[in-house]
Amino acid sequence: MTPSVPESSAVPPPAAPRPAQLVEHFFRHETGRLHGALLRLVGVQNFTLAEDVAQEAMLRALRTWSMGGVPPNPSAWITRVALNLARDALRHQRMSTAKETSISMHHEQMLGTPAAAWAAAHELRDDALRLMFVCCHPSVAPDAQVVLALKVLCGFSTGEIARAFFSSEAAIAKQLTRTKQRVAEAGLGFEIPEGENLAPRLDGVLAALYLLFNEGYKASAGDRLLREELCHEALRLTSLLVAHAAGNTPRSHALLALMLLTAARFPSRLDVHGDLVRLDDQDRSKWDQALIERGLIELSAAANGPELSEYHLQAGIAALHCMAADYASTDWARILRHYDELYRLKSSPVVALNRAVAVAHVHGPQAGLDAITAIPQRERLESHYLLHAVTGELHWRMKDHRAAAEDFRRALQLAQVGPEQLYLSRMLDRTADAPAA
Amino acid sequence: METNPASLPSAFLLLFRNSGPENHAHLSPGERQRLVTDWNDWFEGLVAQGKATEGQPLELDTRVVSGPGGTRITDGPFPEAKEAIGGYVKLLVRDRDEATAIARRHPGLSYGLVIEVRELTPHCHLGVNTKPADAAVAAPV
Repeated sequence: MTPSVPESSAVPPPAAPRPAQLVEHFFRHETGRLHGALLRLVGVQNFTLAEDVAQEAMLRALRTWSMGGVPPNPSAWITRVALNLARDALRHQRMSTAKETSISMHHEQMLGTPAAAWAAAHELRDDALRLMFVCCHPSVAPDAQVVLALKVLCGFSTGEIARAFFSSEAAIAKQLTRTKQRVAEAGLGFEIPEGENLAPRLDGVLAALYLLFNEGYKASAGDRLLREELCHEALRLTSLLVAHAAGNTPRSHALLALMLLTAARFPSRLDVHGDLVRLDDQDRSKWDQALIERGLIELSAAANGPELSEYHLQAGIAALHCMAADYASTDWARILRHYDELYRLKSSPVVALNRAVAVAHVHGPQAGLDAITAIPQRERLESHYLLHAVTGELHWRMKDHRAAAEDFRRALQLAQVGPEQLYLSRMLDRTADAPAA
Repeated sequence: METNPASLPSAFLLLFRNSGPENHAHLSPGERQRLVTDWNDWFEGLVAQGKATEGQPLELDTRVVSGPGGTRITDGPFPEAKEAIGGYVKLLVRDRDEATAIARRHPGLSYGLVIEVRELTPHCHLGVNTKPADAAVAAPV
C-alpha cells in the first residue's frame, strides 16, 4: 500500500511521483461495486454488514489517499481492503470456513494476472447486476426500490437522496432501514434470475430504472444538478443491463433509447439563468448529437422483434422530436399516433395529457382542450401544475387571455421547483400584458 | 529563531491530528472524493514549488513504550483518537510564517483537521536538514 515508484528510473525522482487521479464519481460508483462484491460473499441477509464494511474501507481509502496519494489501481486497493475487513468480520461471526476460502480465492483473483483481472472485472459487473435485481425485487415497493438502488448501488448519501426527493434525511433513512429489513427477511439469493423467472424480474428492474430516470427528469422539486445525476445513473445502469445477456432484450434497448434521446436535450432545457426553456424555444444546436446517435442505434436494436412496449413508443416520440430540424417541422401526426398506441397500452391520465398536447398540434387548441376535458380520472391531474400549464397555453393560443391567466396562476401555485415557477410567472406576465379578448 | 538571515530554507513538520475516519463518516461520496482531490492538489502544488519534500499517512494502530526499561507498553489506538498523529508533511520554507500560511490553506481544516507546525531544529547532530539549500532556493516563490 506504499506508493509505487517507477521501476525503470535508476535515479530516484526528486519528489514523490504524481499520484493517480480518481475518475469522476469514483467513490460513488465504487460503493455499488463494493456492495456487490461483498454481498456475494456475505449474503443478502447480511446487508448491514456489507454496508458497514464498504463504508469502513472507503474511509480508510479517504484517509490514506489524502495523505499518501491515490494508488495506481484504486479500485483494486479498496476491494482488497474491504475483502480483508469482511474476512475479519466473518471470522468474528464464526461463519463457515467455506466462506473464508471463497473470499481468499476472490482476493487472489483481484490481484492476479491480467486475464484474472479481466475475469474479476466481469464478475464485479455481474455483482452489480445481481445487486440491481435485489434492489428491484417485487417484495419491495417501487419507490422504495429506487431509493434503495440510489443508496447501495449508486452510492448517493442519505442526505443527497433527501435533497433529490425534497424529503427529510430522517424520513429517507427510516425508509431505507425498513427496506433493507424487508430484503433481508425475504431470504433472497444473490443471483441473476434465470429461465422463466427472468422476464418478470427484468420488467421490475426496467420499471425501477425508468422511475429513476423520470425522477431526475421531471424536476418537480429538489436540487437540479443532483437530479440530472439521477438521470445519468439510470443511463449507466441501463447500459450495464443491456450489455449483459440477461438484460439484452428489445424493451431494455427501447428504455435505453428513451433515456439517451431524452438526455440529449438536457443542454438546452434551461437557459443561462437556469430558467426553463420550452421545446419550441430550445436551441437545437445544443442538443447532444452523440447521445441522439446512440439513442437511434438503441432504438433500432429495440426494433429487433415484434415486441412493442411502452418504452418503444416513448422512445419513438423522443426520436421524432430529436430528428425534427426545428419545432415547426416536428411530425406531430406521427407523434399523435404513438400517443394513441401508448394510451392503449397504458391509459394513465398523464399519458392522456401529453396526448392532448399532440392533439392540439395536429387539430388545433380547441381539440386539445376537448381532449383534456375527456380525460378519464382527470381529477387526478388537478393537483399537478402541468395540467394547468397546458390548458393555460391552449387558452392563450385561442386568445382567451383571461382563462389563460387563471390557468397559469393555478399552475404557479402548484409548481414546486424554481425554474418551473419562473417560467410560469413569465407566462402569467404575458397574459397581463395582452389585451383582453 | 525562525527567521533565517541567510535566506536558507528551514525544515518544518506539519503534524496532522484529528484526521480519523469519524471525521469523514458523514461526508457523501462526492464530498469524500473532493477532499481527497483537494488534499492531494494542496500537497502536489507544494511539491511542484519545491516546498514540500515528503508526506505520509500513519497507521492508527499505536504502541507506546514508556517507563524505565520500557516496562510499560500500551497498545493503541488511544482513547483520545483526536490527539493521535494521523500523518505528516515535511516542508522546506523560508520561515514559520510561511509554514503557517501553507498549513492554513489545508482543505482538511474544514473537516476538523488540526495541524501542528513544528520547526526541525537545524542544530541536530543527525543532520536533519539534509536537503541541499540550492534545491529550494531555485524554486519559484
